[in-house]
Amino acid sequence: MNRWLTHRWPAPHWPSVRGRGRTDAGALLLTAAVIAVVALLAAAVPALLRAAADDAVQDTVRRAGNESHLLVHADWERDAGPTGGRLRISRLADDVDDLRARATYTLGPDLDTALLPSIAVVNSPILRITDGNLPRTVQLTYLADDLDGPDVTWIAGNAPGPAIPERSIEIPYHGPPWPMQVGLSEADAAALQVGPGDRIPAEDDHGRDKDIRISGIYRPADSTDPAWRLAPALLRPVPGADGPGTTRVAALLSRESLPDARLAFDQDQLRRTVHFAPAPDALTWEATTTLASQVVKLKASSGSSAARDGSLKWESQLDTVLRDARTQISAAFTQAAVLLAAVLTATVLVLLLAADLLVRRRTPALSAARQRGAALPDLGAELIIESTVVSLSAAAVGLALAHTTAPGASWTWTIPVVLAGAVAGPTFGTLAAARASRDRHQPANPAARRWILTTGRLRRAAVETAVLIAAVAAVGTLHQRGLLPDTANGDTGELTGDLILPISAVALSALAGALVVLRLLPVGLRIVLRQALRSRRPLAVFGAARAATTAARALPLLVLVSATALASFALVVGATITRGLDDGAWHTTGADARLDISSDVQDATPALAERIAAAPGIEQVVAAQITDSAPLFTESTLLTPRLVIVDAAAFGRLLATTPLPDAPALSQLTAPGPDPAAVPALVRSSTGDLHTGTQLQLSLDNGPTIRLTAVGTAPPVGGAGDVVIVDAAALAEAGLPAVPNTIWVTGPGTAQAVSHSDVPADIVLRTDILQAQRVAPLTAGTLRLAWTTAAVLLALGLLGLTLAAAAGAQERWQTLTRLRTLGLRPRDARWVAAGELLPPVVVAAVCGPLLGALLAHLTLGPLELQLLTGQAADPATVLPWWLLGLTGVALVAAATAVVPVEAALRRHDRLSEVLRSGE
Amino acid sequence: MSSEPLLRARGVHRRFRTGPTVVHALRGVSFDVAAGCMVALVGRSGSGKTTLLNVIGGLDRPDAGTVHVDGADVTALDEDGLSRLRREKVSYVFQSFGLIPVLSAAENVAAPLRLARVAAAERERRVELLLELVGLADHARQRPAELSGGQQQRVAIARALAASPRLLIADEPTGQLDAETGLSVMALLRGVVESEGVTALVSTHDPVMMALADRVIRIHDGHLHDEAAGQLGEPVPDAG
Repeated sequence: MNRWLTHRWPAPHWPSVRGRGRTDAGALLLTAAVIAVVALLAAAVPALLRAAADDAVQDTVRRAGNESHLLVHADWERDAGPTGGRLRISRLADDVDDLRARATYTLGPDLDTALLPSIAVVNSPILRITDGNLPRTVQLTYLADDLDGPDVTWIAGNAPGPAIPERSIEIPYHGPPWPMQVGLSEADAAALQVGPGDRIPAEDDHGRDKDIRISGIYRPADSTDPAWRLAPALLRPVPGADGPGTTRVAALLSRESLPDARLAFDQDQLRRTVHFAPAPDALTWEATTTLASQVVKLKASSGSSAARDGSLKWESQLDTVLRDARTQISAAFTQAAVLLAAVLTATVLVLLLAADLLVRRRTPALSAARQRGAALPDLGAELIIESTVVSLSAAAVGLALAHTTAPGASWTWTIPVVLAGAVAGPTFGTLAAARASRDRHQPANPAARRWILTTGRLRRAAVETAVLIAAVAAVGTLHQRGLLPDTANGDTGELTGDLILPISAVALSALAGALVVLRLLPVGLRIVLRQALRSRRPLAVFGAARAATTAARALPLLVLVSATALASFALVVGATITRGLDDGAWHTTGADARLDISSDVQDATPALAERIAAAPGIEQVVAAQITDSAPLFTESTLLTPRLVIVDAAAFGRLLATTPLPDAPALSQLTAPGPDPAAVPALVRSSTGDLHTGTQLQLSLDNGPTIRLTAVGTAPPVGGAGDVVIVDAAALAEAGLPAVPNTIWVTGPGTAQAVSHSDVPADIVLRTDILQAQRVAPLTAGTLRLAWTTAAVLLALGLLGLTLAAAAGAQERWQTLTRLRTLGLRPRDARWVAAGELLPPVVVAAVCGPLLGALLAHLTLGPLELQLLTGQAADPATVLPWWLLGLTGVALVAAATAVVPVEAALRRHDRLSEVLRSGE
Repeated sequence: MSSEPLLRARGVHRRFRTGPTVVHALRGVSFDVAAGCMVALVGRSGSGKTTLLNVIGGLDRPDAGTVHVDGADVTALDEDGLSRLRREKVSYVFQSFGLIPVLSAAENVAAPLRLARVAAAERERRVELLLELVGLADHARQRPAELSGGQQQRVAIARALAASPRLLIADEPTGQLDAETGLSVMALLRGVVESEGVTALVSTHDPVMMALADRVIRIHDGHLHDEAAGQLGEPVPDAG
């Protein structure tokens, strides 16, 4: 007869389902609680990260400032007149408006939505003010936006007007300077000590005078108007904008004076640019790829910069900023995925252990049902109905909570947990029921017994080999491929198939490590047992014997070692990020605080340093002159490293009191160098252009040319790739006295001391930098996840320990009771129980953290943590030994507590029950 | 055979309460067993066999009555006293063998001797003797999983005899063995009773065992019916 005709669907016995559910309600609720908590975590984390990703993109773009602007230039139409001169084009401002309109039209809808309204800026070349006082420069600027430029109030004089009444005029080339009217801000006018009607004496690079007439003094209606940010010198003088010691002011052109400004300069000297600033609030992580590629397309479609036409020439770092942000976000996603994979692995193992416990409790009932004639499919159906209801309900609760916590929570990551919860129990239960109807007698034939043992060992070896191969492949892939999505194939932000293996590397390695421990533990315990057998202490023998017997049980040790190792790994990740942020902040500031002194008051720096040093709670104060892009010549090329002129001894003491790397080479700066005519210098180069022995020539601010010779390697100073450090006294002796513009301060009273500085300076506090990094959305989110993961994994480990103890309790009690029938005293039975329970726990407590540290050593590099910490290189792996130790102590303490608790729970059990209890 | 019985039970009552229900497992059981005897305790499931063995071995306490083993009042001993009794005078053979899986046959047999802190040399000599006695001298280093069920039960019997107990209690010792192996185990028990001079109290359903026993005590609904080697006998009058 056809099998389908005789086939019947499983028919669950509902009273049995209900009865089992009631009897084991506690265990089922525990399983449900584990599934719900992990489902909450697994569903909420990706959603929270996506929300943090949008914040991170916006944060990155805000921090990038003008670098994230999209700029477009276009040459002017030539103004050649019919008689061979230059025409004054009175509607020149309309050309600027037209450029803005063309550029906006070219953007396309996506970029148009993501960018703020454009602002056009027309800038003159930088002119040198020739009033003979301080080194000052002036730039003429015209601003145009949708409202015709930022609003100002003319507090003296008038807005700039045309230089001549005629609207159109042709002037000869190489004529006298063409006059132009400009406005000045109050601060700029005060700095120049000029007013309406005065002229600003200025000349260009070729020494040609310019006729700049001040028509009025203005006050901005809103100094925070984004347009002013594009030309901050229009509000007040900007020190250092054109090199150390210089101050730049800016003069405002109007629609009416712009045509005169064009005539006042050469044909192409007046440069018009349209700025599109991103609207950070409109940026989302999902949009970054599209926006970046559109920016790239615009740049690719730019006209040649050599072409003298009106074509649009796009410039922007926005694509790079967005890609960097996306890379950072992708790294955070995959780092989170690695941690989630760790939690899911431990959870699945714990659920298997919970199922094992449940089935051990149910085995008598299931065996009885089977022996009474219940069909295996019926029993399996009953069990799977129960487990599916429990798993799905728990997952639904977890997902609902996740949705409340983080809208948009995804269920993808909960699948393994739900599957494990739904399938493990029925599988174990059905197998237990099947065993009840099998012949359980030990075969009398030794060959048959050996065959049973061998097939069991081969099965286990096959599974273990598969896990080991998978772990090795995963770690190999992680190192070769990395964790970042493949941008070449279009980074969609989703976890693609090629990422699954590297993301699982840590979890698989923990599992593989646990399997190795599982293999080694019985060997170790057999050695211990052999030693115990030689001893005269019976308790040691029975304890070791019990431990050796239970060491063969795979799940408890796998759970304990894996959970502890993964928790330790998460702790190492958290500690490494934390220390990385700290190190990053130290590298950024170089001390507890760094004061960047305004260039116009740098003479006051030494006095300020002395005042700060005298304040309470100050340990080190070091003043230095730092010049970025200092011109240094080698024999063949010009280099522009960061030049640091500092008291070498004081700088050495400063470094010695901070976590920054010490620089013993600093002492060489004050010792006689190999070349008595050259000043010793320490050098550092990211490209290898600077090295010990390099001969350099330094020429600063028209000072004497000083020969430098590199005598050693410089410590890093800030984020500069190329650094040259010289001793201030040695340089002064060579004829170039330093003008300190930076003060480094350390000590507990730093914040208080520098806050009372009466000298204009930018104060950079290390704690502020650190705090800003810590609260950055991705960093904060990943750190929280690392600590949460560690806590959850530790909790899973402790739960696993409890479940393992509960699963083995019946067998342990039987054995102890049998030993008591041999004469073991009740109080000694507790020692034997401890001897059974403690070895695997102690092994997990020791091997777990070590394995976690090893995993961190193997995998932290490809995890790209430096993208979170903001460091130039991979952060050094930090092993928080006291936290790792605490993890182990927690496990051992829990195991120690199990023995008296179990003894208390068993105190009403009768010894007599052992006589008939089977194994 | 000594005139003083090795085992004396008088008026032993044992009740179990399951919710509102009270089950009388033993109802004033009284009997004596002379030293060196092998007694088969037979009865249907639930008749009270195991309860009686538990009370005699000090694994359970009676609600009333007394049990003396080799002169010691089992019912009056505290936990330490019971441990000492089990170490020195009473041993057990379990239906499920109860061997320690990671220990070899010899080490399992030596377990009671370790608890009794017998010196290593004496322990080894005794183990060797016992394994010889149960026919497993060649299997001394094998672990339980490497032995057949019958061999495991032989190891269990050797272990039970290790500390030279006065009374050996075996509850269905052939329950997990096939008929042939069960018979050999029973024959072994019979043999060791004679060779070691131990008194054995064995609960069984096996007619062969009953035939091997010096005396058969039937238990039914908590009452005893004594029969000597196939003949019905009078139970000892309740001393109480």
